[in-house]
Amino acid sequence: MMALSRLRSLPVTVRVPLLTASLMILLGLLASQGVLTALGRVQDARLSETARLHVEGLSVALGPSVVRQDVWEVYDILGRARSAYDGQRLLLSIVADERGRILAATDPPRAPVGDDISGFREGAVPPSAIRMTGEPVLRVNASLLYQGREVGSVVTEVDVTDLLAERREVALWLLFGNAAATALLAFAGWLAVARLLRPVATLVEAMDDSRGAPRPVQQAAIPRGDPGFARLLETYNRMTTEVERRAEAERRLAERERFVSLGRLASSLAHEVNNPLGGLLNAADTIRTYANRPEVVRESAELMQRGLSHLRDITRAMLDQNRLDRTGQPLRPEDFEDLRLLFEPEAASRGQMLDWDMGAGPASLALLPAAPVRQIVLNLLLNAGTAAGRDGRVGFGAANGAGHLSITISDNGRGFGPGDLCRLMASGPLPLGGGVGLRLVHDLVESLRGTIEHERRDGTTRIRVDLPLDEVDHA
Amino acid sequence: MQHTRRAVVFGVAALTAPWVRAQGSLSFRFALTPVFLDNDAAVIGALRAALASGMGQEIELVQRRTYQEISGALLDGSVDSAWTCGYPYLQHRSDFSLLGVPVWRGNPLYQSYLIVGADDPALGLDDLRGGVHAFSDPDSNSGFLVTASDLARHGDTPDGFFSRSIFTYGHRNVVRAVAGGLTRSGSVDGYVWEALSVAEPGLTARTKVIARSEWLGFPPFVARRDRANEPSVSACRSALLGLSGTIEGQEALRLLFLDGVVPGDDALFEGIAARMAALGGG
Repeated sequence: MMALSRLRSLPVTVRVPLLTASLMILLGLLASQGVLTALGRVQDARLSETARLHVEGLSVALGPSVVRQDVWEVYDILGRARSAYDGQRLLLSIVADERGRILAATDPPRAPVGDDISGFREGAVPPSAIRMTGEPVLRVNASLLYQGREVGSVVTEVDVTDLLAERREVALWLLFGNAAATALLAFAGWLAVARLLRPVATLVEAMDDSRGAPRPVQQAAIPRGDPGFARLLETYNRMTTEVERRAEAERRLAERERFVSLGRLASSLAHEVNNPLGGLLNAADTIRTYANRPEVVRESAELMQRGLSHLRDITRAMLDQNRLDRTGQPLRPEDFEDLRLLFEPEAASRGQMLDWDMGAGPASLALLPAAPVRQIVLNLLLNAGTAAGRDGRVGFGAANGAGHLSITISDNGRGFGPGDLCRLMASGPLPLGGGVGLRLVHDLVESLRGTIEHERRDGTTRIRVDLPLDEVDHA
Repeated sequence: MQHTRRAVVFGVAALTAPWVRAQGSLSFRFALTPVFLDNDAAVIGALRAALASGMGQEIELVQRRTYQEISGALLDGSVDSAWTCGYPYLQHRSDFSLLGVPVWRGNPLYQSYLIVGADDPALGLDDLRGGVHAFSDPDSNSGFLVTASDLARHGDTPDGFFSRSIFTYGHRNVVRAVAGGLTRSGSVDGYVWEALSVAEPGLTARTKVIARSEWLGFPPFVARRDRANEPSVSACRSALLGLSGTIEGQEALRLLFLDGVVPGDDALFEGIAARMAALGGG
């Protein structure tokens, strides 16, 4: 199991040649077995034929001598037969009479005249049944027939050392030959498969190197001769381009979100600017009409000053909102006042009640950068304002926690839909539809290593953002 | 026993002789002893050439398996003369006459050897009891009679003394049987063993001589007594006796390890006769 899982973990460019080599080895073993079996059959047939001819020849030659119990004739015939036959193969021939007493043998000291032949019959088989067993010496036992009757028997020891050596040699040649062929084919398989799978390797390399940002495969590396792989790599390249384009789009969207949020405030801010303008024009007209009345002029001038101050504050807040991301200024209480200034007209236009509770001190605020926090709060306020609807209620709270700034935005709207909640809380792909304001909040909080909590209770939605105050570099 | 066999042989020979002679050719038919070096083509060729040269006629050398066959062939006339053994000569003394006796190492005498395997501890015949023994021929003096008569003198017979005795019908075969371990011991012609020790030293080296008989009459050349004076037989006798005088004869004698051929007489075979008597008495 371990080996199998280890094999599975190998690259496909290694695994396929390994499998090819394994199959080749298996094929080689089967082929070798076939050849050895065929060789064994040929050798068995050859042995059987040799033994049969030997025994038949002896039967013809020895019959009369065995009948006469002529020891010398039997010995002489055996000696001549040995030299006439393949003397190297027939190690020992023993002839016995019908009672099993040895008449003569080619090696009399081993098989003395008059001894019992039964000891030599041990393990002996008929000539037709002789088979290569792996033993270097095989024994054949056969009856000696003369004039249709059995007059004795002959036991022959057959030396098959040369056949065994031949078999061993063939086995060795097969082994070496198959090993060489297998190695060659495995290497060729390796090359072929590696060549075939080179586009895959290129793709894997491109994906490995990308470290999260997919890198396209170079055009030169795309195999034009292989339509399948070419399509795969081109699709991959298109995918990487799309991913890059999407990331770029998200980045731009986030960039624009600042303007978008201001844009969303534009009409209410225009009202906020326009309303004092009527009073200012009236005051200017009054001054012109009653220039000789100092108390009226003074009163009108004060009115104009208040109106212009308000306009100045609004424009400054708008400018700051648009500019602060580039300055890297630390967060101040005034930033929250700006936000209130910007949002109040929006809330007022909807008849909403705004609960504003600025409970955080300037010292702790200064540990955070102004731009992202302002953007976070503004986006959440805009979202709460939209959710709360006409005559709704929107709340803002900022407080110092243990080592963090805690900002809470609440509204009594209908609560977050799943899409909006996903934008705000998750890092996955943006759901279709909707803006990127909430996702920008998520990303900014994440960049500040803060956390977002969402709670819906008693008809009120609360978003709490906790931003850690230590080790924050807002330069 | 001997008389019965001889009578049978003679009877068969007498009945078949006319027919065999009718089939005979003009060449002189000379039978060779089967116990001799009859497997050497060079020896046979040289002997034939020497005899043909000496006799001035074609010689046909005839080989038979046993002395009994040789004796039968002589008696029935299918051969004209033969080189046989002293024992069958004496068995048929009334029918055969001597043409000559070969001289070996200066005398027309030889010995019977009792041989065993080179590493056999036996020192004499008595040590061979219960073993397998190889004889040459039941009608051979050195290859049977000597040992059988020795046993008879002690009241034994070959079948009783040895566990088994076999006949190899050839002195060389006796040496082969002992050297190869087929038999423990063998009775062999001393002349053949000595000749083999020169011609095939590897064979005799695997045997050793543990007993030698007394000197006995060398296997003689014989012919049928009633044909002894026929011109061809006389010519054969002359050729045999004159072998040492011709080049071909000397070559044949050299190959046979013999010095020559002498006329000889029955006194040479008294030792064999004594053994025959001992065997017969046993």
